[in-house]
Formats: sequence, C-alpha cells, structure tokens
Amino acid sequence: MKPYHQSVTPSSGIIAGARSSIAFVRVGLTLALLCALGFPIAQAADSAPDIAARKALQELVPKAKIDKVEQAPLPGYRQVIIGGQMVYVSDDGRFLLQGTLYDTQAKRDLTAARIATDAKAKVDAVPLSKRIVFAADGGKPKYKVTVFTDIDCGYCRKLHSQIAEYNKRGIEVDYLFFPRSGIGSPSYDKAVSVWCAKDRNAAFTQAKGGKNPTPLKCENPVAEEFTLGTQVGVEGTPTIFAPDGSKIGGYLPPDEMLAKLQTLGTASFAGN
Amino acid sequence: MHLPLCFSSALAALGLLLAVNASAATPEDTVRQAVTAMAPKVKVDAVQESELPGFYEAVAGGQFLYVSKDGHYIVDGNAYDVREKRDLTAGSRAKARKIALDKIGPDKRIVFAPPAPMQTKHTVTVFTDVDCPFCRRFHQQIAAYNAKGIAVDYLFFPLSIHPGADKKAEAVWCSKDRPNAFTAAMAGQDPGKATCANPVSELTHLAQTLGISGTPTILADDGSQIAGQIAQSPDQLAAELDRLAQASAARN
Repeated sequence: MKPYHQSVTPSSGIIAGARSSIAFVRVGLTLALLCALGFPIAQAADSAPDIAARKALQELVPKAKIDKVEQAPLPGYRQVIIGGQMVYVSDDGRFLLQGTLYDTQAKRDLTAARIATDAKAKVDAVPLSKRIVFAADGGKPKYKVTVFTDIDCGYCRKLHSQIAEYNKRGIEVDYLFFPRSGIGSPSYDKAVSVWCAKDRNAAFTQAKGGKNPTPLKCENPVAEEFTLGTQVGVEGTPTIFAPDGSKIGGYLPPDEMLAKLQTLGTASFAGN
Repeated sequence: MHLPLCFSSALAALGLLLAVNASAATPEDTVRQAVTAMAPKVKVDAVQESELPGFYEAVAGGQFLYVSKDGHYIVDGNAYDVREKRDLTAGSRAKARKIALDKIGPDKRIVFAPPAPMQTKHTVTVFTDVDCPFCRRFHQQIAAYNAKGIAVDYLFFPLSIHPGADKKAEAVWCSKDRPNAFTAAMAGQDPGKATCANPVSELTHLAQTLGISGTPTILADDGSQIAGQIAQSPDQLAAELDRLAQASAARN
C-alpha cells in the first residue's frame, strides 16, 4: 500500500490524458524501472551522438540495458528504445527527455508510432507454430490481434470466455503466454501444460475456464514469449496488440475491440 | 480529464488576436497553437523559457510540457540535465509551487510550529485531508516533527474520494481553537458542523492547479516535493530537509 491517497488516476501525460478515453492505465517509464530491465545490447556501428546517448543513459541509470539507439525525428536528438519504451537524448549527451513526443503539424504521437513499429516487428517475428490461434469465422480474418495472456488472470479469462464473439466479428485472436509471476511460477507451469496437451486449443479453453490442466512437460515457447512481452512493454495481462503493433488494451469487450480496430490509422486527433 | 484552470482567459483572447499574424508570434502564441493542434481542450496556463535549449516550457493544469521554439514538436514528459544530474522538470515544478505557496498567508494555514524555546529550522507545507489515513498517521507524530525543528503548515485539500471531508475541514476551520480541533479530527473525532468563511475550496483549487493530486503532499521550503515514505519518519524528513537546504545554498 502506498502511503498516499490519490484523487485521480495519474495519466501518462497531460496531452495523452486529454486525448485518450481508454480505460487502460499506461504506466509511465520511470528511471527506476529502467534499472529493472535487462536486454541484449544491439550495437551496430555507432555514431558519436549514439555513443553520447548511451553514455548519458548509463550516467543516469547505470544498469539500463539499451535495446536500440537511432536518430530521433526531433532535430538534434537521438531516440533510445528500452523495453518497449523510449527516451530522447540530445546529440551532445547533455539533456535527456523522458516522455511522449508529438509532431504538431502531422498531429501524430511519434513515440507511440515508433514503439508500435518496433513491437510489430518483434511480434510478427513469432511464427504461427508458437501461437495458440483462435481463427475468425468465415475464413480470412478482417483483423488479427496478438494477446499476451496468463492462465490465472481474471480479465484474460473474461476475454477468452467471449472468444466466439471476437471470432464472429472477423477478429482472429493469437495468444502468446505471459505468466505474470514469471518463469517457473505455477501460472508458468500451467501454460507449459496447456502447450504440451494433445489438443492445445481445447486445453487452453479448459484452463481458462478454471480447470487445472493435467501437468505436462515438453519443448515449449512460454519462456521465450514471456521475455518477448517484457521487450515490447507488456506490463500486465491481457495486453492486446493490433496488427500495426500498437497496444489497444487491456480487456476490451468484442464490440469495443472491433470499433478500435476499425478506427486504427484513421483516428483524428482533432476530435479528442 | 479535469483541468482546473483559472488564468487562461486573457491569454486565450490574446492568442486569437495574434493568430492572424504569425510573423509576430509570441512564445505564448507558438505554444498555444502547438498544444491546441494536439489537444484542443488543454489550456496553457503559463509559458516560460526552458533550461532545455531550443524549447519553451509550458504549464498546463500543473503539468509541464516542452514545446520546440518553432512550435513543431511537443514533449510531454520530464527533462533531465545529464551533466548536472538534475531533473529540470522537478526543479521548475518546485519553483512554480514555491511562488504559489508564498502567496498563501498564515491566515489560510493551520500552523504547528515548534513551541519555544525550540527553534524552527525548516517549514514544510502539507496538503492534508481529515479522512486520509496517512495524513492522520503523519499528524500523530506532530510533536516529533516539531522536536526536530520542523514547523508544519497544513493546507486543506479534502479529496473527492472522501465524501464529507470538505465539510469536516470547514468545521475544523470554523472552530474556536483551530489546531486543537484539527488534532481531534485527525484522531477520528467528529468535528461537528460549524460553517463560516473559509479557504478550503480555494486551497483545493490551488492544489489542483499545482498538479497536486493526492494527500498528504509534503512540500519543502523551496517548493520541492518530499516522498511520502521519507516524510513519515521525522528523522528522515529532518535529514532530507537539511540536504535540500544545503543543495539550495550551494546553487545560490
């Protein structure tokens, strides 16, 4: 319990708060959180500003493991991707900005767009053989969402109890496992057991219905998917990724999910 | 999102007038147009030069935004000076809060100062709510804070999640012996239903314009916010206030 009473849910920022009606709390990146993340450092041939950006970040957060450093759309700045989140560092390494970058002329959230591109590449790289797929009705899906899920999470169960409704609306749901308590936890073991069942989809649905799966072990992608989740900024379950790599929830009822998918890419910021 | 604002109408009118003459754009103008483009409902309260080169700093509803001087980009977040290891946004927020708090006289505070012959070394301003458990726990230790040379000035900020807390604050304010009534209410006693002219709604509004959203919120002399975990310990609070005072002296 925090020794603090709050009258409002803190938003990720004043503009995001004013623009968003999503009942989904985005947890802001804190420098403390950066410490907790660990990722392989992908170092290409770094330019001087790239090196300055890395140095700046290590100065403020010695344990930060940087995912990617590249030129930012903001002139004079590098952008650094860390665990599905982003910070901006001036090319001389002197200043660091932690927050959301907007282009007021294009009326775009550049931070979310870049993070979505990054997440899309990583999520798309997961082959069909490592997903549990609940296909849309009537052949070709209109939309495909990727849902990071945990057998033991209430809203994940609620979502799956309506799986036929999503499918009926032309939405294919691809599940990846994200046992929140981590690798080796009871929820992790359940995920592995479901994965190793003969009829994976049936075992998944049964487990989501509250029935403990028969304990099984086999080669499985659960740990890999959990790690992927941390790299694309999954902080809870369910986390739903749209086809463009943007995070759209949180649990969303079937009609709301459909509406959200329909407006993606065509959203007008001016109306908010 | 509810944005408690009060000083924006004059600036808004100015913005409309100047919008037709882009070449004479003032910083206020540039910032307002940029913010409006992204979030039409967000009202900008103040615009100032930023320590971040090439940016203006804008305040809206107690939160800070960085707007590039050409108005093309906005960063909604915090700025750090890596070389100085300083959170520039926290620094600006503290400054803005200090200016606002300096305008709140003792006639709007409930003051618990160290009794003579003890000396006051530091003063903290605490936004508080009679019905908030951690505010009560804080006040239980008031003698210990005073013994450390810390004066505590309370400002009422009854949260909307505590229905009736505003009436209790008013009853405390309107009682004959304000500090005693406050202490009794913080111990769980019903303060009654007294009413009179009082600053409760003004202070609530002030808290909101300063981006304060919870209680207890503890601010040091320089306006900087002290973490609740630190403030709950009189020893740690005293040490933190000493540290802040030294840091502030070193800068001046």
